[in-house]
Amino acid sequence: MRKFNIDFVGKRKVFFTISIVLIAVSILSTFIFGVKLDIQFKGGTLITYLYDGDIDTAEFEKTAEDALGGLAVNVTTGKDFSTGKNNIQISLVSNTGLTSDKQYELSNVIQEKYAANSIELVESTDISPSSGKEFFQKCLVAVAFASILLVIYIAVRFKNIGGWLAGACAVIALIHDCIIVYGTFVVAHMSINANFMAVILTILGYSINDTIITYDRIRENQQLYKKTMTRAEIVNLSINQTLVRSINTSITTIATMLVVTIVAVIYGIDSILSFSLPMVVGMISGVYSSVCIASPLWVVLEGIREKKKPAAKK
Amino acid sequence: MRKVKKPVFFIVFILIALFTVSVIFGFTYYYGDMSTVYIKGVNNIRFGIDIKGGVDVTFTPPEGVDATEDQLDSAKEVIVQRMINLGITDYECYIDKNTDRIIVRFPWKEGEANFDPESAVKELGETAQLTFREGDERDSSGVYTGVTAENVILEGKDVRQAYAGYQNADESSAAQYVVVLKLNDEGTKKFADATKKLYEEGGCISIWMDETMISAPTVSAVITDGNAIIEGHFDADSSKQLADKINSGALPFKLVTASFSTISPSLGAGALEAMIIAGIIAFALIAVFMIVVYRLPGAVAVISITGQIAATLAFVSGYFGFMNSSILTIPGIAGIILAVGMGVDANIITSERIKEELYNGKTLDGAVNSGFKRAFTAILDGNVTTVIVAIILMGAFGTPDSIFSKLLSFVFFMFGQSTAGMIYSFGFTLAVGVLLNLFFGVLCTRLMLTSLSKFRIMRNPKLYGGGKNA
Repeated sequence: MRKFNIDFVGKRKVFFTISIVLIAVSILSTFIFGVKLDIQFKGGTLITYLYDGDIDTAEFEKTAEDALGGLAVNVTTGKDFSTGKNNIQISLVSNTGLTSDKQYELSNVIQEKYAANSIELVESTDISPSSGKEFFQKCLVAVAFASILLVIYIAVRFKNIGGWLAGACAVIALIHDCIIVYGTFVVAHMSINANFMAVILTILGYSINDTIITYDRIRENQQLYKKTMTRAEIVNLSINQTLVRSINTSITTIATMLVVTIVAVIYGIDSILSFSLPMVVGMISGVYSSVCIASPLWVVLEGIREKKKPAAKK
Repeated sequence: MRKVKKPVFFIVFILIALFTVSVIFGFTYYYGDMSTVYIKGVNNIRFGIDIKGGVDVTFTPPEGVDATEDQLDSAKEVIVQRMINLGITDYECYIDKNTDRIIVRFPWKEGEANFDPESAVKELGETAQLTFREGDERDSSGVYTGVTAENVILEGKDVRQAYAGYQNADESSAAQYVVVLKLNDEGTKKFADATKKLYEEGGCISIWMDETMISAPTVSAVITDGNAIIEGHFDADSSKQLADKINSGALPFKLVTASFSTISPSLGAGALEAMIIAGIIAFALIAVFMIVVYRLPGAVAVISITGQIAATLAFVSGYFGFMNSSILTIPGIAGIILAVGMGVDANIITSERIKEELYNGKTLDGAVNSGFKRAFTAILDGNVTTVIVAIILMGAFGTPDSIFSKLLSFVFFMFGQSTAGMIYSFGFTLAVGVLLNLFFGVLCTRLMLTSLSKFRIMRNPKLYGGGKNA
C-alpha cells in the first residue's frame, strides 16, 4: 500500500503563495481583459438564425437596424455543428429589452428580404436589464446564504476541532475556488452567465466535500493521538491518509468532466462547454484548496488563537 | 452487520438489476391501439425546453401600470386559454405577485417544423379587447375617435360565446365565413337598445379588436335575440382564430415581455445526444478505473452506482407513483453526473478505508466492518453539505409554489421569480442523487460486499487491495 508522508503544514508558505498569485492573476485579468457579462445578467437581446448560401454581414446588419427603427445591432456569423448549417447572430444591448412585437417584425423583415437563404430562427434570448440584474443579485445571495449555512454545519459537526474556525477555513478555501473559476471565465473570454453560477454552486458542494473528508480524519486522529502528537503532525497525518482517496476521486470526477468537455467540443455545443471546462478547473482548484489550504490554514489560525488566549488552553 | 448471510449479495444484485431494467424500459400495456403506461420508463422523461426546444417568456404589465392580484389572476387565465387555443397543452404558467410578472414556458409544438414562436408569443401578450362602437369615426392612423371612441356599445365580457360560422349575413349576400356571437342577458339588452337607436338614425356599428377595426356594418334591423354576427373577409382559419380570442377573453392590459427566449428543437437535440454519449463513455471509464484500482469493492461499487443512476432517473421520470415526474434540463443532467461522482467518492472512501485497515493488520471481516463504519461519518458530512447547496438552489430558482421556494422565501423575498428555472433541475437531480447515494453507495454496497466476503473464494485480502502481510 502506498503511503505518503508529505509535510503539507510545513510547506504551507509555498501553497499560500501559489494561491495568492492565482487569485491576484484572476483579479488583475478582470482589469486587463474586462469581464464579459452575458445578456442574462446585463440585459439585451441575442437572436440566432440558420441560413443557406451566402449573406453579406454588413447588409444584414443594415436591414436589422432599419427594421428596429435605428437601434444599433451587432451581427456575427458562425457555423452550427449539429446541423452543419451556417448561422448568423444578431445581438443588441438595449435599456428596455426588445418587445416580442419588435422581434416578430424583425424576423418577418429578415425572412422576407433573405427568402432565398431560407432563414430559420434557432434561438433567441431577450432579457430586460432590470431582470438580468436581479438574477445576478439573486445568485450572489444564494452563494452567500449557502456559505453561512455551511459554516454553521461545520461548526456543529466539528466542535472538537475548533468548530467555527474550521468552518471559516473551509469557506476561505471555497472563496478561493470561486475566484479561480471566475478567473477561468475571464481569461478564457467566456461571458458570465447562468452556467457560471451553476459551476460556482457545484464547486461549493464538491470542494466542501473534499475539505470535510480531511476534517473528518483530523477529528478521528485528534481523539487517537491528542496526547502524543502536535496539531501540525495530526493534520499532516490526516491529509496524507486521505490523499489517495482525494486523488482517486478527483481522477474519476475530472475524467467525467473532461469526457463531457471533449464531446461538447466535437459536437460544438457551447452551452455545455462553458459549463464543463470551468468545472474541470474548479474541481482541480477544489481538491488543491482542500488539501493544501484549508487544513494548514486552520493550523495557523488555531495557533494564533491560542497565543492570544493562553488561559483557554486545557 | 455481522449477521449478513451469503445470499444477501444475490438478492441485492438481482433487485438492483430488475429495478434498473424496469426504470429503463418502464411497463406499458398495449391492447390494440390503446396503450396504458403502468410504470414510466426513460422514454417518459419530460425534457426541458433547452433540450426539446421551446419558449420561455416573462410578461409584465407596461410601465406605469400597477396590476392588482385579481388582474394578474385573470391575465393568467386568459393566457392559459390562449395557449390551449394554439394547441399548446404542455405549458407551465406562474404568476409572481411581488413583481407583477407572468412567467410562461412551453415546448416547441411537436412535429411542427415551421411553428413560429415569435408570433405565438406576440399573440399571447395581446390585449384582445373586443368592442362594438357607435359609428365609424376614425383618425388618420385608423384608430377610433370622436363619438366612436366615446360610445362603446358592447365589450368582450358581454359575449357569452363566440364561434366561427359559414352563412349569409342577410338574404342578398353570398355565404361567407363569419364569427357568431351569443350575447349574455346584459349584452342582449344593450345591443337591443343600441340597434334600436341606430336603426332609427340610419347609423352604423363598428366592430374592433383592440385598435383595429374589423368591420362597420350599417344597422339594418333592431336585434333583440342576443345574436350578433361579425363579417370581415374571414376564411375558415381566421374566423376560428377570432372566435377563440373572444372566448378566451381580454387581458386587463397589454403585456410586454421582460424576457423572452426561444430554442429550436434541433439545437437541443444535439445537446442531449452529446450528453448521453458523454455519460456512457464516462460511466465506462469509471467502471474500468474502479475495478482495476479497487478490485472486488470496485466491482461492487459499479453495481451500486448503476442502481443510483437508475433510481435518479426513476425520480425524474415519475416511476414512483407517489411523486410527479419532473422536467430534466441540461443542468439537470450535470446534476446527475455530479451526484454519481459523489457516489463514486463514497465507494472510494470505503474501499480506501478497508485497504488501510487490512494494511494495519486487521482480519478481513474486521477490516470490512470497521472500513464501512469509519468511512460513514465522512460520507455523511460530505453529502449533507452538498444537499444544503442543492436545497438552496431549488429554493432560489424553483417555481413560486414549490416547497423549497416557500421555505427559503425569507432569504429571497426581495427577488422575483427569475427566468433561469433550469438551474432548479440541477438542484433537484443533485439533491435526489446525493440522498440516493446514502442508500446505494453506503447501504447496498455494504450489504453486497459484506455478504461476498463470506464466500471462501472471496476471502483473499488481495481482492480488497490488502498487502501480503495481511
